[in-house]
Amino acid sequence: MQLRRVALWMMAAVGFAACSSIDCPIQTTVEVNYVLNDTLKDTLTVLTKRADRQDTILLNRGVGLTKFALPMSSGQPVDTLVFQIVNKQKAMTVDTVWIKKDDIPHFESVDCATHFFHHITQVSATHVAIDTLFILNPSVTYDISAKHIEIHFKNSH
Amino acid sequence: MTYQRNISRYISRIAISLLLLMGQQTVFAQGFLKLERDSVPLFRGFAVSADLVGAAQMMLGDYGQYEGALRLNLHDQYFPIVEVGYGKASHENDAVTHITYRTKAPYFRVGVDVNIMKKKHTGNRIFAGVRYAYTNYKVDISEPATQDPVWQWDAATDVKGLRLYQHWAEVLFGIDAKVAGPLHLGWSVRYRMRMSHNDNQIGQAWYVPGYGLQDTGNLGATFNVSIDI
Repeated sequence: MQLRRVALWMMAAVGFAACSSIDCPIQTTVEVNYVLNDTLKDTLTVLTKRADRQDTILLNRGVGLTKFALPMSSGQPVDTLVFQIVNKQKAMTVDTVWIKKDDIPHFESVDCATHFFHHITQVSATHVAIDTLFILNPSVTYDISAKHIEIHFKNSH
Repeated sequence: MTYQRNISRYISRIAISLLLLMGQQTVFAQGFLKLERDSVPLFRGFAVSADLVGAAQMMLGDYGQYEGALRLNLHDQYFPIVEVGYGKASHENDAVTHITYRTKAPYFRVGVDVNIMKKKHTGNRIFAGVRYAYTNYKVDISEPATQDPVWQWDAATDVKGLRLYQHWAEVLFGIDAKVAGPLHLGWSVRYRMRMSHNDNQIGQAWYVPGYGLQDTGNLGATFNVSIDI
């Protein structure tokens, strides 16, 4: 009788120890959040060049922007972004922005795919329409509320 | 108004319950921790033990630990203990994520078990115990290259020899039965709490030597074979 009770306790203990669950993060978007010092009067399109040398649009004709989010690459040390700003007279101004960063693999479990976090180390631009840009928060993670880069456009834009 | 009355009644009930519980525990602690006065000497010898659960995990799965312990018997009531083990994980090319995770490192736990049986000198024991544990280990994590969905560059994860550490505590409940002569069999169920850890910048470790998997519950179990010396 006593042995049976012990055996039942053992089974319960093994049952507890055997329980497992997979808790992969639900929110796995890793994006750079840009904020503007003022509402952008002109239309902004952001492009970049893919590995096959073809252009791809990251932000298409944003109007009245105060903030926007763009993806960050994994596997290359610098992202080169082309900012096309079109004013109401349809005149286009083009700026190139370089974002230097370190890619940091982010691991949760063998059951969850690895994602890349990033640490922004330097930002620079050609300053045609962009006046200044600076890093607010260099750490790009799952935190979608973080503001990473602030951009000041010249007054005419 | 109704809400306020309900809230105050609820808080009062919790406060009274806590006071009663604390009072009861004080009385319990006085009898529980007192060394029994009898003719049995304080020092009753040593016991060495091995955990079979960790060894079975190691043989049947891709992680586990070999663990032994040395336990001092003080009056069949207090059992200071040192547990030393070697944990290993070798999860190769996961079927879904294709991630490989490897680590191997020693670990230790120190603590004390208290025999809470009324008749303490029968050779059978029911334990409540606490442990402090530490391990310092290196991990290798790799994942084959995947294509960046926007830029289409290939990006692989390949982390080698990343040094991590963890301090943790365990609260356990177990039994230990005398089987024949100096041979005892017993098991313990443990609740583990991470006190501090350094997962470096990788996110979080998967298997920690001695602690087990991070992404499962906090409960663990051991099945011990021990011999009194």
